[in-house]
Order: sequence, then structure tokens, then C-alpha cells
Amino acid sequence: MLILKAQTKWRWIIAGYLFLAGLGAGAYITGVVAGFLGDEWAQLSKIGVALGFPCVAVGCGLLIFDLGRPLNFWRAAMRPNTSWMARGTIIISTFMVLGAIHIAFWIWPFGGLSAGARAVIGMLGIVFAFSTMVYTGILLGAARPIAFWSTALLPVLFFISAASTGVMAVILTASLMGVPHSGAITTLARADIILLILEVFAVAMYFQATHRVPEGRESARLVLRGQVAPLFWLGFALLGLVIPLALEVVGVFALHDGGAATAAIVASISGIIGGLILRQVVLSGGIHAPLRAGRFEFGLPII
Amino acid sequence: MARYGFVIDLKRCYGCYTCQVVCKAANHTPKGIDWARCVQAETGSFPSTLRQMLPMVCMQCAEPACLEVCPTGATQQDENGIVTVDQDLCMGCKYCMMACPYGSRQVVDAWETYFPDAEGALDPYEAYARKKWDEKYGSGVATKCDYCMDRVKQGLQPACVEACPSKARTFGDLDDPESEISILIRREGGFQLNPEFGTDPSCYYLPVR
Repeated sequence: MLILKAQTKWRWIIAGYLFLAGLGAGAYITGVVAGFLGDEWAQLSKIGVALGFPCVAVGCGLLIFDLGRPLNFWRAAMRPNTSWMARGTIIISTFMVLGAIHIAFWIWPFGGLSAGARAVIGMLGIVFAFSTMVYTGILLGAARPIAFWSTALLPVLFFISAASTGVMAVILTASLMGVPHSGAITTLARADIILLILEVFAVAMYFQATHRVPEGRESARLVLRGQVAPLFWLGFALLGLVIPLALEVVGVFALHDGGAATAAIVASISGIIGGLILRQVVLSGGIHAPLRAGRFEFGLPII
Repeated sequence: MARYGFVIDLKRCYGCYTCQVVCKAANHTPKGIDWARCVQAETGSFPSTLRQMLPMVCMQCAEPACLEVCPTGATQQDENGIVTVDQDLCMGCKYCMMACPYGSRQVVDAWETYFPDAEGALDPYEAYARKKWDEKYGSGVATKCDYCMDRVKQGLQPACVEACPSKARTFGDLDDPESEISILIRREGGFQLNPEFGTDPSCYYLPVR
């Protein structure tokens, strides 16, 4: 009987990195886009931009902490011609520089950057933020023997999740800061409802795409019905999708002011935790292809 | 200039694990690291079942997946096709472990003794092995089989080839059409594992009877 085991080397810390890089970039894009929408959005725009750099920086700190030789981390950008990790390092570093400049010249300590210059930095920043969000999926996808990761749907899923958690991080921070729940923030919550619905479709398609090879089917079994199932169903499906979707719908269409703010805070915290768990679920479902020799299939020993 | 390769005859291997153990002895690999591994598989359903061993080494692919994903340039391919890791450049991201289809990349997070219950200092043999390992590799970096290049340069065979009691392993030069491995591959229908990953391994297997 063929026994296939999941990889064990990339776990929560790497999940935290993939998650925070996506969340930070998503919040940044939310902030920049909000900046183009008028005065009503000014505060949300600042919150989004301010969240971008620190979240991604903490995520990179996690990645470096997980390295076997952290002091060599600066070498990671040496082979952009072949390695997605090298390209990602360059993308994320550029994003962090732009994000930090954006914060430093607009929010603190200067505050005197002209709107035109801000727009230029913002547009450049959006390009690299978008690349960061997609890259977290492509990074895993470049590991070809792991069918669960090596699919074009993973960058799509991670991008939607990154956008959604980014929006929720902005909503959460704004709600905690007491921004009134009307107008702009409600619109943001409506946008997140759409993102969450898209995420449901993306995750369904993602699992649909696993069935072609035995290791992909085993990954899906492990995640949907096996050892990882509680984490997937309770952590991602419930916390990450159902609760935020339900609370945001109720918050947008039925509640006002204080009630809406409470619903938004609970929904956002729940959804953000779900986003982290999604990364961990995908990592812990990573199973290498069996080796085939004639009629025999050999499961790779645990790595 | 050569392209070093292996031929492993699946019908000769009877699963004694000598290669796995002698590799540890020759390369001082610590607990958790097995560059020359034997894995087994079963097929059929009772009562007509079969068991087969698959002895492995690094495939030293011509198009190595580990080399493609290595972000630091630590992974290199020498003029004989041997893929090596420069321990000073490796940052231990483990991306190569995810990308290698054959499980040839291995990392030890922290060196561990085989005898955790023994009191006092390590016994001299284990202490020696640890010293040799730390000199050449150490913890936290990717390590892999290099077809015992130190031995090959001295005119010896790789340790697992020399030790295999059933002569299932043959080492040689794939570029030389008259080498023993080239003849074996031609005559007995040698094949590569999982060619669908496009890595063009230099290790060939001879089919089960």
C-alpha cells in the first residue's frame, strides 16, 4: 500500500511569513486606492498605507528567523534569473522600501509630500504590493513535485486571501480607532464581502484542481478529511470565511454605529486568523509525488 | 570532463540496507540524514503481492530542480555533473527540499546523538563523526550526496557501490558510450525515475524482472 507523507520543514513560521506579506501588501493597496477616492477616505487611506510596511517587515523577520543560517539571508537575491525566492526577495524588499518612504513622507514625521508625488509612489507601490501578494503563491508553485502547490490557482487563492485580510486589517484598525461606521468604512466592508465570496469560489476550484495525480488527491484527502481537516474546517472555513462573511453581511445591511463596529471588529479578527490558517493548511498539505519504477510506486521518506 | 552517473539494478537489490549504513560511515552523516537510502514498496493484493526495494542516491540531475530554485547561488554544478552545496553560501531556506522530486536534499536542524541515554561525553567514535560533519557541513544548511567525490578522486568507487553485496550499484561515466553503465543502460533498458519533472537524472535504474 502506497503511503504518502506531507513535508514537515515549512510550518507555522513560514505560514506566518506568507500570511503577513499578503496582509501587509493587501492593506497597502487598500490604502493607496482609498487615497484616490476623496476626502472621506483620507483616514482609511493613511491606515492602509501605515499597515503595509510594518506587517511585511515582521513577516520577513519570521522568514529570516526560520532560516538555518539567518546571517546569510542577504544572499537570497543572488539568483533572480532562476529562483522565485530570489525574485520574491527583490520584490518584497522593493515594496518595503516604497512602503517605508510612503509612510515617512506622508504620515510621520514629515507629512509634507505633495499629492502628486504621493500618487507616483502609491502607483509604484501598488505594482510591487500586487507582485508580493501573487508571489507568495508562486513561491510554493515552483516546487513542481508537490502537486498541491504546483497549480496556477494557488497564486489566485493567496491573492484573494491577501486582499481580503488586508481590507479586514484596515477595517479592524479603523474600528478600533473609533472611525464612525458609515460611508467609506461600510463600502470597504461591502468590498470585503465580494472578496470573501470570490475566496469561496477560489478555494473550491483549488481543491477541484487537485484530483489529477495521486499525490494531489492525497493532499486533498489529508486537508479535507484527514489530519489537517479540523484546522481546515474550523480554522479556515469557519473562522476565515463563514464568520466574517455572515458578520459583515449583518453589519452592513442590518446594524448601525456601535453594533456595526463590534460586528466589524469580530469579523475582521476572525477573518485575519483564518487567513493565517489558510497558509498553514496549504503548507501542511504539501505532499511530494511518489517515485515510479515499473508497476511499483514508492512514497518518499519524510523530509 | 565526464558525466558521472549511477546504474542501480532493481532485480539485484534484496534490501539489506548496507548502502545506507556504509554511506553514513563514509560521510559521517548524523542522525536523520541518509544520502543513500533504501525505500520499499508493495504492489498487488493478497495473496499475489510483491515487495520491491528502491535504493537511492542523489540523481545528480543534468537539469537539477534544486539548482533552479536555490536563491543564494550556494548550489553549483561542477564540470562532471556533480551538484554540490557551498555551505558558506547556503542560508538554509529548504526550498531545494521542496523542489527536489527525489528527496535528495537533507537538512539537520541540530546535530543529535544516536545515544541520548548515555551519560557523560560522546563516545570517541561519535565525537569524531560529529567533528568531521561540522567541519564539512554543519547544522542548518542543505546537504546532499556527491557520489563520494573525495573517494572518486583517489581512484576509489563511491562507498555504497563498493559495499553493495549484491552488486546492484554501478558507478561510471554516462558520456562514455563504452563505460559499464552506458552498456548496462543500453542492453537492459535502463530508465530514469519520474522523468516528467524534466530533471534528466544521471542515475538510471534497471527494471524489475
